[in-house]
Amino acid sequence: MHNKNWKQILLFLLPVLVLFTTYFIYPLGFVFVSSFTKWNGIRPMEFIGVKNYLQLLGDGTFRLALRNNIIWALVLGFIQVPLAAGMAMILARKPKGWKTFRTIYFLPNVISQVALAMMWLAIYNAEDGMLNNFLEIIGLSDLTRNWLGNMSTAFPAVLIQQVFYIGYFMIVIFASRMGISESYYEAAEIDGANVLQQEINITIPMLKGILITTMTLALAYGMRHFESTYLMTNGGPAHATSVMGILLYRDLGALNYGEANAIGSTLIIFGGATIAAIRWLFNRNNHTSDSIQ
Amino acid sequence: MRTKKIVLICALILLILPGIIWAAGTQEAKDQTVVLKWPTIWVGQDTKTAMVATLVDEFNEMYTGKYRVEIEANPDYDAYRNKLNSQIAAGIVPDLFVFNPDPTSFAFYEGENLLMDFSDELASGWGDDFVPGSVEEATINGETKTVPFEMAYTPIWYNMDILKKAGVTSIPTTYDEFFAAADKIKAAGYIPTSQMTGGTNAWTSMLWFSHIAASLGGPDVWQKDITDPVFVQSAEILKEMFLNGNTSKDAVGGDAGVSGGHYLAGRSAIFINGPWYIGRVKSDAPDVFAATKIGPAPGAAYHGAQIGFPLSNLAAAYTDDQKKKEAVVAFMKWMTKPENVKRISLDSGAMFAIKYSVAPEEKINQLQAQFINAVNDASFINPSFSMKYTSDVVAEFGQALAKMVLGKATPEEFVQQIADKIR
Repeated sequence: MHNKNWKQILLFLLPVLVLFTTYFIYPLGFVFVSSFTKWNGIRPMEFIGVKNYLQLLGDGTFRLALRNNIIWALVLGFIQVPLAAGMAMILARKPKGWKTFRTIYFLPNVISQVALAMMWLAIYNAEDGMLNNFLEIIGLSDLTRNWLGNMSTAFPAVLIQQVFYIGYFMIVIFASRMGISESYYEAAEIDGANVLQQEINITIPMLKGILITTMTLALAYGMRHFESTYLMTNGGPAHATSVMGILLYRDLGALNYGEANAIGSTLIIFGGATIAAIRWLFNRNNHTSDSIQ
Repeated sequence: MRTKKIVLICALILLILPGIIWAAGTQEAKDQTVVLKWPTIWVGQDTKTAMVATLVDEFNEMYTGKYRVEIEANPDYDAYRNKLNSQIAAGIVPDLFVFNPDPTSFAFYEGENLLMDFSDELASGWGDDFVPGSVEEATINGETKTVPFEMAYTPIWYNMDILKKAGVTSIPTTYDEFFAAADKIKAAGYIPTSQMTGGTNAWTSMLWFSHIAASLGGPDVWQKDITDPVFVQSAEILKEMFLNGNTSKDAVGGDAGVSGGHYLAGRSAIFINGPWYIGRVKSDAPDVFAATKIGPAPGAAYHGAQIGFPLSNLAAAYTDDQKKKEAVVAFMKWMTKPENVKRISLDSGAMFAIKYSVAPEEKINQLQAQFINAVNDASFINPSFSMKYTSDVVAEFGQALAKMVLGKATPEEFVQQIADKIR
């Protein structure tokens, strides 16, 4: 069958392959090649070898941004996704008002990032912000500060506001959880397993695939994070919240396309390596547990 | 066999159909009107929006059947600039656009057949409408590829009501007087100055730095290297403006909304911005509008300096189409016609590189009059820091400023951080 139908298969795949090559493979290759040049988009490209990469490696701001991106990836992958999974498991038990909670948790995902960032700017504002006002009301005025203007608190502040938006991953995991037959849980209940034991021994193993997928997506979002940091702090104060996306955006604005593309290439390489490492780790554990069985 | 034929035909249709749709979409209409697309930032909340829209409508009416300009709204200044930079670098230049005459954007002058050259038209009498020197500032290697339009003059705004309540009887003329006044303003429960380190260029504080540098270094201060002691001293003064309650708690990390917001709310006493902000203050804060006095920054070695620079030029894509070129030139001349520029200026408060006179009976608001006087009375006018360096260096200014203000860098390290970014 394979030999007989390969022409039809190729014919059906051709339009997508053409589009994919034109709008993804070719630009990706162009970004990588131009990262070895000095280019402002107007003058011809000037090949400078690895100078852009050496400059980046020697730039403390870039190293800080890379570190921040890795933290973003790990926080979203190992805090946001588990939070989403936990909430999905709770909602799957259909407690009272579960549909309302499901909607509430998903609501931020249908609101624009700009609106959410403006809201958090208002919450964190040092003069009139809700957080400082709340701290004063409860007698903790010593803790009030300029949350987004302090080098120690700005990065955690931007991170925290993003971590709790678990709606998207929660819905994905919830949908998979609803696909698990209730007979497993009934059998476990008969055997005396409590809710926690059921979730650990039935739900998590059966959702392993979707958990790895959501974690991979979260890691990817973290590595390419840009929006809320740009809107809330623009990488400041003093580059404390800088991420590679912002440095890249700044270089684009200054017509430093060679440097911008070097940052982009680095982002792709590091992002891919991080995700591959995580997937290898999970797959290795998967093979180990299979061999034990 | 029949199935194979059907599959083949379907695949061919899928391949060809997008091409047919695209070709149909690009067919020129039978209509002979030359349409010029104008993505512009003068929309939404910009104070020039209404009059610009009116002038475009009038132009379209005047040239019905011949030319038509269509505005494409781009309300976000930074997004507009970045989008344009990317488009132009890719060779996709809008028919008309607003050009930022700064060191980064002037690189587009080098592109062959990228921007329309107005040198010939300006040399044939049209250039006489412009303020002396402005056409020369828009000319590089004998080519004037953008048309001077809006000017930025950024004197100091003093809320005299707050100063009066604080017992400050006159505008400070030295930095010692300035900080003494700041202490009184604080004692009265107000914020002495609006500052900011955020946004893409730490606008308010960047302008303060420019004013301080001018007062210390004079008209040729920008000829000096950024590590010169005059800039270190400027940084020390600017740092003091952030400390000891001399500005709001949210100044570090704050953007133009924060800085301007405190002034509009009547909380801060001293502010910097350009004439385009007059309309905003008049509509949003009439009490502050009535209380505002425009003046120079405090002086040091030099007094009475002002900061002024070209803010926005008009530009157009290069074209071989003679009809399109005529349309562009006609529109440019319409927008820079002195009577039309006066209409925008009187309506919005903005100031321009085109000469026009105001008759005694024509209403000009008190802030606009003060702006004009401040510029006329200036001992010299210097460009701002943002006109001297490329956008990535200007972006680094805000980051370095935050680091210095937070005590993580000395003024010497502040200027060095900027110097390291300069290529």
